[in-house]
Amino acid sequence: MRAYLSAFRMRRRLELQYRGAVLGGVICQLFFGLILVAIYRALYAGKPQDMPLSQITSYVWLQQAFFRMLLASDPELLDKIRTGSIAYDLCRPLNLYGFYYVRIVAQKMTGSLLRAAPMLVFAFLLPEGWGLMLPASFAGFAWSLAGLLLGLLCVSALENITMGFTMRTLDSRGMQALLNLLMMTLAGNILPLTLFPDSWQRVITLLPYAQLLDTPIRLYTGEYELSQAPEALLIQILWTLLLVLAGCAFWRNNQRKLIIQGG
Amino acid sequence: MNTLRLYCRSMAIMIKSQLQYPLSFLMQTLAQLVMEGGEMLAVILLIDRFDRMNQWGPGDLYFFFGLMSVSFYLTEIFGRGVTGNFPSMVRTGQLDTVLLRPRGILTQVLCSAADPRRITCIAVGVVSLVLGSSLSKIAWTLPKVLLLAESIFFSFWLLLGLFMVEAILSIHSVKSVELANALTYGGRSACEYPSDIYPRPLRVLFTVIAPFALVMHVPASVILDKPLYGWPVWTAFVTPLSGPAVFGIMYLLFRKAMKFYRSTGS
Repeated sequence: MRAYLSAFRMRRRLELQYRGAVLGGVICQLFFGLILVAIYRALYAGKPQDMPLSQITSYVWLQQAFFRMLLASDPELLDKIRTGSIAYDLCRPLNLYGFYYVRIVAQKMTGSLLRAAPMLVFAFLLPEGWGLMLPASFAGFAWSLAGLLLGLLCVSALENITMGFTMRTLDSRGMQALLNLLMMTLAGNILPLTLFPDSWQRVITLLPYAQLLDTPIRLYTGEYELSQAPEALLIQILWTLLLVLAGCAFWRNNQRKLIIQGG
Repeated sequence: MNTLRLYCRSMAIMIKSQLQYPLSFLMQTLAQLVMEGGEMLAVILLIDRFDRMNQWGPGDLYFFFGLMSVSFYLTEIFGRGVTGNFPSMVRTGQLDTVLLRPRGILTQVLCSAADPRRITCIAVGVVSLVLGSSLSKIAWTLPKVLLLAESIFFSFWLLLGLFMVEAILSIHSVKSVELANALTYGGRSACEYPSDIYPRPLRVLFTVIAPFALVMHVPASVILDKPLYGWPVWTAFVTPLSGPAVFGIMYLLFRKAMKFYRSTGS
């Protein structure tokens, strides 16, 4: 356990090194957020919906702020497989899946918190109807924090499954791009899931992708009421467990077939 | 003319070389189709829920979206050297080899890459244009066809010019070129919709600084018979010239920046 903990700490420290590079990314993300909010404002001006505009703008900002949680991935593993230095990792007295799981959790957590903090401050300062609103209730906020943590664990499990495909084919850029696109669409980054047709939403919110950010955001904005919160979190927990187990099995299977590239 | 011939030859070779691995090419092309299809799906879903955006109906919105897809991905196919590879050429020192040859730097950079996979994105854009045209019942006349062609052609130069901002920044500092993405990719996302829906600062940005509105939205709105900002019809033939103007300015800045170029030496 201590070993995993220190792997987690090391990765976190590494991610904190590139604070300068964060600034450009944050400004770019803020700009995208402003554009999206402006589009939804124009749409709402023509035909207001049941859902208040401030819920949509909050949704957009929270998605933009935690963007990095969805997309960050570990480039080292791929290199290691290609060069054969994965052999060193196999020698460690650790489970390979577990080792990379804590690393990706650390990377996604640190990377997204580092970006989210300035972005959320900015979004709070924007006027009503443009920015991020306060959480619907204190209890809802607490639930959404728990949901965010579960979302982090869930997205890391998903990332490891994508990595599993990468191990198989060496060059899986096409596969990775497709899976990432599917994730961005079904996680609500491209278009808030709350704006999908209502009949679709019943299915989409049950998919693993909706567990990442959509559930915590809905808990935050009050779209999910407090009575629905335990159920929403239960779905997150189930998906996380399922994906971790599937990923473990997938990796073990891959490990048996793994060929160490010499050199 | 010689330069143009050289460019056309390079493009032919580049595209042929990518077709050498047909299966991989096909897979990646399909991935592009899904990607751009997903973008269009977002527009379809928004129109399904909201019906319209200010004075713009569904057909108009599809038309604007299609115009942006076609222009943006034409630039990605034929300008890949600038839109994709340049920063890494600087970082790896590959640009040094370019400096030794007896041709313009920009010519060689443009000749160095092509990205034919984007053809499916253009297909999506064309579908969107046709859909928009039929939904908005556009009465096509010769001037309107010419206007559309002019708009797409000059959009290519505008986008190339904006991507050169990134190239120029990458010469001055090897890192932090992300900011330039706000203009190119941000501009694409924003200007899939007509610029008059935006609040004043953004509208000014996309009309004056990165003039997507002048190159795309003014002509497109005239084709749709709903002139943008209420400008007279003849302006639509003149404003797209701002595209090559941006490219010209960026070209001059690029030449200045090249004087600062220091090889990374690797």
